[in-house]
Amino acid sequence: MAETLIPADAGRITRDTPVGFELLGVKKKAAIQLMGSRLWGRFNPNHWDPVYAAETGLPAPIQTGEMSSAYLSEMCVHALGPAMFRGARISCKYIASTKANEVISTHGRVVEKTPKGDGFRFRIEIWAQNEDGEKKTVGFVEADVGV
Amino acid sequence: MTDIRTDALRPMTPLQVRQERDFIESLKQDCQTYWDMVEVGDVLARDLTITPELVILYADAVEDYNPWYEGWRMNTWRIPGESPFGGAIVPPLMMSHFVLSVQFDHTKPFAIGSIHTFHDTEILEPIPVGATVRIAAKAVEKYEKRGRRYVRHEVTVTDTTSGTLYMREVRDILSL
Repeated sequence: MAETLIPADAGRITRDTPVGFELLGVKKKAAIQLMGSRLWGRFNPNHWDPVYAAETGLPAPIQTGEMSSAYLSEMCVHALGPAMFRGARISCKYIASTKANEVISTHGRVVEKTPKGDGFRFRIEIWAQNEDGEKKTVGFVEADVGV
Repeated sequence: MTDIRTDALRPMTPLQVRQERDFIESLKQDCQTYWDMVEVGDVLARDLTITPELVILYADAVEDYNPWYEGWRMNTWRIPGESPFGGAIVPPLMMSHFVLSVQFDHTKPFAIGSIHTFHDTEILEPIPVGATVRIAAKAVEKYEKRGRRYVRHEVTVTDTTSGTLYMREVRDILSL
């Protein structure tokens, strides 16, 4: 059975987007091969080595926080487009560790829109969670749309 | 000693396990905690040329395939790329990740046990792929909260040629 595709521009935030609007998120698996890639430095084995992680009391290697922030940022670029690259703000607090093999989804909800110029400055609460709904990263984004 | 195996999460041969254990052993060196390594007022800065290949390395590591970031493609290699700002641009939080390579003094052993806990990032202007930026991090506060020790930095990312301020950030590191 063929899957149903959403329109390419679904989920974009415009001047008319109301408070309460929910962003379309992304979903990623905390893959050990990515967690251990050179990009993240490979100087802290807690991020990829199960033996070292166990020796330091962790149940599994944990992702760097920057990976969650990148996933949230990807969601925001889809929703906000160019507005995410000029005059934007993104704040993230890492409140729980993301362990290897967890599946992380990102979420966002418009909580405020303040008139600015010809458009609005949007404030969006954002978070990343695992499949059990445990929040891992929480924060907010602000960006100007149609200004 | 633990019962957990090196190959618990990905398939490995004995050769790969040996190489991995040797590499991790090589990382165990005498080092200070981050708390002891940093004094309030310390400023560290480094310049980074954001090559197309570096952007691809980052984007692949977070599985972000937005074509706006592509100043390099297989077969054609380096290309100008396309984005709403003209050529290829840098993902919004890529520079935030590279701050780590500045705030931790790279001339000293890595302060193991440090955890990044928070960032508040202002993305002021799009960064074109190929730009050379100066990442500067100033330690502004050391504080304790609920028995844990944190070091706070203020960060700027500016273009070394035009002086454009691309990004400002406040970030916290939890130290042993």
